[in-house]
Amino acid sequence: MHKTSPEIGGMGHSIKRKEDLRFIQGKGNYVDDVNLPGMVYGQLVRSPYAHARLKSVKTDKAKALPGVLAIITGEDLAKAGLAWMPTLSGDKQMVLATGKVLFQSQEVAFVVAEDRYTAADAAELVEVEYEELPVLVDPKKSLDPKAPILREDREQKDNHIFHWEVGDKPGTEKALHDAPVKAKVDAFFQRCHPAPLETCGCVADMNKATGRLTVHMTSQAPHAHRTLFALVGGIPENNIRVISPDIGGGFGNKVPIYPGYVCAIVASLTLGVPVKWIETRSENLMSTGFARDYHMTAEISADKSGRMTALRVKTLADHGAFNAAAQPTKFPAGLFSICTGSYDLAHAFCEVDGVYTNKAPGGIAYRCSFRVTEAAYLIERVVDVLADELKMDPAELRRKNFIPASAFPYKSPLGWTYDSGNYEAAMKKALDKAGYQQLLKEQEEKRKKGELMGIGISSFTEIVGAGPSHSFDIVGIKMFDSCELRIHPTGKAMCRMGTKSQGQGHETTYAQIVAQELGIPAADVTVEEGDTDTAPYGLGTYASRSTPVSGAATAVAARKIRDKARKIAAHLLEASEQDLEWEPGKFYVKGAPAKAKTIQEIAFAAYTNMPQGMEAGLEAVDYYDPPNLTFPFGTYICVVDIDKGTGEVKVRRFVAVDDCGNIINPMIVEGQIHGGLAEGLGIAFMQQIDYDENGNVQGGTFMDYLLPTAVEIPNWETDKTVTPSPHHPLGAKGIGESPNVGSPAAFVNAVVDALSHLGVRHIDMPITSWKVWNILKEKGVAG
Amino acid sequence: MAVKIEKSFQVQEPVEKVWQFLSDPRKVVTCVPGAQITEQVDERTYKGAISVKVGPSVTDYRGEVQIVRLDAQAHEIEILGKGQDVRGKGSASMKMTGKLTALPDGGAEVVTVSELNVVGILAQMGNRVINEVSNIMFEKFMNDFRQKLQAGPDQAAPESQPSGPKPVSAVSVAFSALKAAVTRRGDKPDAEEANGKSGSEK
Repeated sequence: MHKTSPEIGGMGHSIKRKEDLRFIQGKGNYVDDVNLPGMVYGQLVRSPYAHARLKSVKTDKAKALPGVLAIITGEDLAKAGLAWMPTLSGDKQMVLATGKVLFQSQEVAFVVAEDRYTAADAAELVEVEYEELPVLVDPKKSLDPKAPILREDREQKDNHIFHWEVGDKPGTEKALHDAPVKAKVDAFFQRCHPAPLETCGCVADMNKATGRLTVHMTSQAPHAHRTLFALVGGIPENNIRVISPDIGGGFGNKVPIYPGYVCAIVASLTLGVPVKWIETRSENLMSTGFARDYHMTAEISADKSGRMTALRVKTLADHGAFNAAAQPTKFPAGLFSICTGSYDLAHAFCEVDGVYTNKAPGGIAYRCSFRVTEAAYLIERVVDVLADELKMDPAELRRKNFIPASAFPYKSPLGWTYDSGNYEAAMKKALDKAGYQQLLKEQEEKRKKGELMGIGISSFTEIVGAGPSHSFDIVGIKMFDSCELRIHPTGKAMCRMGTKSQGQGHETTYAQIVAQELGIPAADVTVEEGDTDTAPYGLGTYASRSTPVSGAATAVAARKIRDKARKIAAHLLEASEQDLEWEPGKFYVKGAPAKAKTIQEIAFAAYTNMPQGMEAGLEAVDYYDPPNLTFPFGTYICVVDIDKGTGEVKVRRFVAVDDCGNIINPMIVEGQIHGGLAEGLGIAFMQQIDYDENGNVQGGTFMDYLLPTAVEIPNWETDKTVTPSPHHPLGAKGIGESPNVGSPAAFVNAVVDALSHLGVRHIDMPITSWKVWNILKEKGVAG
Repeated sequence: MAVKIEKSFQVQEPVEKVWQFLSDPRKVVTCVPGAQITEQVDERTYKGAISVKVGPSVTDYRGEVQIVRLDAQAHEIEILGKGQDVRGKGSASMKMTGKLTALPDGGAEVVTVSELNVVGILAQMGNRVINEVSNIMFEKFMNDFRQKLQAGPDQAAPESQPSGPKPVSAVSVAFSALKAAVTRRGDKPDAEEANGKSGSEK
C-alpha cells in the first residue's frame, strides 16, 4: 500500500476529525434542532403496568385542553390497520396498545398539541382504565406450562419464541463426558441499555401539496427505514425522504423503528403539519431497545495438560414483550455462535431459546455485532474458570489453546471462517506492556498481607462487518453497503454513503480512504450520509460494518475512478495506459516522472478535455458485497484493587492491545477504543435495567442507571498489532465495538481473580460495591 | 415494588386513649397527609382516597381500606389498603400493622410495620424516593397524631375534610429525595443507613 503525505492524509494519518469543528462549537444539527414552520409536538401516554387488560382510554378531558390538536389511540390506529407493526425479527409489535399492555411504559396513546408543555399536560389528562394481570419478569417462569400467555395474538399458545442451535451435539457431549477436566459457569449478562446521550426522536413532515413525506429521525439505517415505512404505511417509496441529521450516539439503540416515529408520521399525515416527537431520558431507558438479558451456561472440557476439547453453551434469551431484536434475519441469536472465541476446539455445540416476558422489547446489538459481546464474555469467563480448575495460569491456558497464526483462514466448529489472526502476538504484547510476571509477584505478596488484588485477562475475537449476501439480510434486504463518489472538475470530491455516522468519524475516515486511493487530500473530500434522497442505498451503521462494508465500497469506487483517470491521463500525456505508473495523486510515465498529470488535472479534463468517445464526468458507485466478515481481536488486561472495608473495586490499570487490521485513522481508532472501554466498564460495574416482581423498571433514570464518568474511568493503556484482513480491499477490519465486546470479561475476570483464593469463581455483572462487600462478608474477610 | 417500612414513636397519653384513636380509621385518616375517607362500606371496610405528589407527578389513588384484624386485648390492628390512580397511572397496596405498648411513664409506644407495594409512575422513581416520601408522610402523620390526640375526641374526628385530599408537599419531598439521591451512588449499604430502619425487599 502506498504511503501518502500528511497533506493528502490517506490511511494511517491521525488527521483531526472534520466533523468536530461543528460539534465543539455547538453547531451540530441534531433532530431536536430541526424546527419547521407550523410544527406541533407529540407526547406518548405510556402504561404504568407491565401486564394489564386495557379497558378504556378516555381522551375527552385531554382534548378539552386548549392547544390540544389530536389524540391518537390504539383503536384509532387499528381502524387504519396500523395498530401493529412488524419488527426486524419477524415478530410484530404494538404501535399503540389495543386489548392489553405488555410492559411498563408501553405506548398507549399519542397526544399532539401546539407546544411541548401542552402536549405533556394533556398526556397527564388522558384517563386509561386498566385491569392488572399477572406479571412475568423471569424468563424461566415464562416457560412454565402454567404461566400466563403473554402474546394472545399469536397462534402459538406459549411464551416461547424460538429455539436455535448450531454445532455437533453428540460429538460435543461425548467429548465433555470423556474429558478428565471440566469447568462450568452460569453467567447472566444483565439487561443493559445503550443510553446514547441523544435520545430517539423525529420530525415527521407530510406536505399535502406535494404528497411527500419527509422524516427527520434518529436513524442508524435511514434507507432501510424508508423502505419499511413504504412497505408498512403504503406510501410510495419515492414520496418518502428519510433524513438522519447529526446523531448523538446510537450504539444499536437507533436501529429499530419505534412506535413514537410511527405515531408522529400518522399525526403529520392526519394534520398536514410537521410533528415533532422527542423522547425523554426515562422513555429512552424504559421503552427503547435494550441489549443482552442472556442467561447463559457454558461447559468446557480439557485434558490434564490444559488442551481444550469441547464447549457446550445453553442460553435462555429474554426478549421482552415483542421480539424486536435488530439482527440479520437468519440469525435469531445474532452471531452468538462466535462463542468458541479465540480457541481451537474440536467440538462445540450452542443452543439458544428466546422467550417473552413483561419487559420492554428489544435485544439490540449494543456496540456489538449481534450478540457477540455475550459470546465473548461467556467464553472468556469460562476459560478463567477452567484455568482455576486446572490450577493453571490463565494466560498460559489461553496461549496453549489459541488458534495458531498459521491456521488462518480458520474454520470454527460452529461454522465461521475466521479471516486472519495472530492471537499469541497480541497477548504477548499485552502481557509485556502490563508487566504480567511482576503483577503476579505483587499479587502474591499482597495476598500474604491480606490485600485483595486481581488480574483479569480477556483474549477475545470479534466478528464484524455484516455481511455476505449469501447469508446476511434484514427483512430480505441483503447487507451490502454503498458509496457514490463524484470528483468535481476542480479535483474536489463528494462522497455519499449508505451508512450513517453517530459519532464514529465517518466524515474523516471515508475521506481518508478516498485520499489513500486517489491522492485527493482528505480535506478536499466531503462525505455526506443520512439523506435517502441523495445517498446511495445502504443498510446503515451498526455491528462495526461501516469500514468493513462501506469502507470497502469507497475503496472500490475510488479504484473505478482511478481506472478511468488512467485512461484520461494516457490521453493527456499521449502515452499508453500500460506505460503509466500511479502514485497517490498522480499518474506519470514510467522512467519519466516529470511527465505527469495530477488527479486534479485529470478531473478537470474529465469535464473539459476527455478522450474522443469517452463519457464525460468522473464518478463511480459501488455496492459492496463482502466475501466474508472480518474478525478483529485483541488481549485486554485489567488490574484491580478491592477495598475490603467498602467492597469498592478500583481499576488500577487497563492494558488494551487491539488488532483491527490496517488502520485508517489511528487517532479515531484509539478514540473508539477509549469510548468502548468506558462503556464496558459501565456494564461491568454499574449498569442494569432491572425489574421488580411487578414489572416496575428499576433502572429508568440516570439516578439508577449510572453512566461512567471521569471519576470512575482509569487511564487506558492502548497498543496494537496489525494483522490485515486478507479479503478487505484495504486490509481493514471493524474496531468500534471490540472494546465493548472484549472488556467486560477482563473486568470481571480481574475481580474474580482477586477473590479466587477465597473460593469465588464467578460474579454476575454489574459488580457493585454492595455485591463485593457481601461476598467479603460471607467469606469473613470484610475489613 | 415492595417496600417495608418500620416506624415507631411515643406519645404522652394513656394507652387506652391512644387505642381508641388508632383503632378508628376515620380518626387516623385525618392524620395521613393527603388522605380522606369518603364512605363507610361496612363495619370494617371504608372507601377512601389519597393524593401523593412527588415532584411533577400527582397520583390520586382511590380505593378501599379494610381492617383485617382488630385485637383490643393486645392493642394490635392490621389494615389492608388497595387503590388505583384515577387516571391510570398505577396502583398501590399497603398492609399495615400497628401495635401499642404501654410505657412505664404512663405514655404509649406506637410501632407500625407497613408493607407497601407500588406499581407505576411512583415505583419507577425507585425505592429511595418512596422511602423519602414515606419518611416525610410519617413525620407529618406523627405530629398530627400527637396533636389530635391531645386535642381530644371532638376535634379529632371530622366526618370528612371539606376541601378534599390535599397532596403532600411536593417541594419538601422533591428536595429530600434529591438530597438523598445526590449524597449516594446507589449502593445499598448507604441506602439502608440513610433510611434508618426502613429497607426494601425485592
